[in-house]
Amino acid sequence: MPTTGQTLTVENLSKRFGKVHAVQDLSFNVEPGRVTGFLGPNGSGKTTTLRCMLGLVRPSSGAARIGGRVYRDLDHPGRVVGAALEASGFHPGRTARGHLRVISDALGLPKSRADEVLELVGLVDAAGRKAGGFSLGMRQRLSLAAALVGDPGILILDEPANGLDPEGIAWLRGLLRSLAREGKTVLVSSHVLSEVQQTVDDVVIISRGSLVQAGTLAELAGNGAVRVRVRSPRREALIAALQMGTEGNPPAAIEQMGHDELLVTGLSPGDIGRSAFLAGVELHELAQQTNDLESLFLELTATGTPGGTA
Amino acid sequence: MMPLLRSELRKVTTTKVLFFLTLAVVLFTALNVFLLVYLTPSAMGVENNDQLLMNPDYVTNIIGAAGSSSIFVLILGIVAMTGEFRHMTITSTLLITPRRSRVLIAKGVVFLAIGAVIGLIAFATAIALATLTLSGTDHAPIDSGVALQILGGVVLGFAIYAFLGVSVGALIRNQVAAVVGALVWVLVLEALLTVFVDWIGKWLPGGALDAVLQSTNVSGRGGSEVLSIGAGAAVLVGYAVLLGALASTTTMRRDIT
Repeated sequence: MPTTGQTLTVENLSKRFGKVHAVQDLSFNVEPGRVTGFLGPNGSGKTTTLRCMLGLVRPSSGAARIGGRVYRDLDHPGRVVGAALEASGFHPGRTARGHLRVISDALGLPKSRADEVLELVGLVDAAGRKAGGFSLGMRQRLSLAAALVGDPGILILDEPANGLDPEGIAWLRGLLRSLAREGKTVLVSSHVLSEVQQTVDDVVIISRGSLVQAGTLAELAGNGAVRVRVRSPRREALIAALQMGTEGNPPAAIEQMGHDELLVTGLSPGDIGRSAFLAGVELHELAQQTNDLESLFLELTATGTPGGTA
Repeated sequence: MMPLLRSELRKVTTTKVLFFLTLAVVLFTALNVFLLVYLTPSAMGVENNDQLLMNPDYVTNIIGAAGSSSIFVLILGIVAMTGEFRHMTITSTLLITPRRSRVLIAKGVVFLAIGAVIGLIAFATAIALATLTLSGTDHAPIDSGVALQILGGVVLGFAIYAFLGVSVGALIRNQVAAVVGALVWVLVLEALLTVFVDWIGKWLPGGALDAVLQSTNVSGRGGSEVLSIGAGAAVLVGYAVLLGALASTTTMRRDIT
């Protein structure tokens, strides 16, 4: 029976480094049985938040709890939470297997556990090689293996897709999905929404240390204003009809494109069709624009200053 | 605590630093034995080696070369602790053991044991080479009682010194700064301090170590007086515990970013 996860709770978390407010009054929950994407541009405070959760960084105020307890109060933290924070936490002269055995020893697990997780992440062939010679992708896999040693119910992964090739990303997606299906809590940070879009159920978006949005991916997609592209030979008449509004429909935001096109925000294709029909305006095209999550994400986080480390 | 100790031991056995520093201990001990047996008598203008080698104290000194390589043991402890910060393995260490003082204690205990083993190896090297090189010449007999005392001193002294290295590394997390700082302290500052304030020498780490090793006559540290073995060991343990406790309340509490 695989270990199932608990809820992660971040409550009014703030962290200041000198004059820099890395995280400000951040609150959100991460639920078991789901993959949650923790998103934000570089330098938005993701890594600081994760490190606060894991007892590595002391919050200036607020707290992060795991099943109601702060990390350092957990009885066997390494068996409750598995974390892969950066791809550089290896002794360059220690082999992949050696690194994992250091961890399995500390967790009181048999040595064979190291080989099991190496198999799981596809590093069996590199087990006896020194981590210093690993590519970024191999380091990511080793980090992940280290996080999995204790078969934890909660996985916290910081930018796990960095340095993975497309095949590796697909593999990671499958692994994370199956872990969530087992009931584990999976939190994955990324600065690129498209990287995790197909993997996550929930999203927590932060920018400049503050929460921008938290909810399901579907909610995020629904939140973005729907845009409809309309073409009509009688464009002016259509604009007039749409601006009047019909049957309680709000007046739409309308953008003129080309010689006969309109980009309408705030009305569904059905609303627009009805208005056009009632006004007797001929339509040549009526199409809802697919919602582009990535540009929505960029809009949501655009206030952040680019650069810096996450 | 057992899993933690096992993990700390595994860290040392899965990298090469232990092997190379132990090798350095063996080679340095061998060098000192050779110097004392072959070179020093002629350098001191003694026409016949027998004059020195017939002196029981001098023969004791040759065995005492076992303690000459203590600096490598100190560096081993420092490198092990600072390496955690240098390679950021401290992150994965603290994820499993968030109570940081436990990590420090476990590492201290493991390096006490490792230091003791290296002390044993150093003594074995010294006694074996001394027996070998002296076998062809007339010399004062090796007093087995004195040899045993040296063995005990080297094992105890090296054990505490490795532990002290861990504490120093926890306090000065930068590996280069910690190693260079320790070398400057041991090789320059401590001797300098002792020159100006003679009585202070025996209370300093090097002086206390020499009391444990019973080798003040070769190192030049520690001033003109020496503590007893027990007092020296207690002073040395005191330094290791004090620096470790200081690190626990300062450097070890810092954010790991």
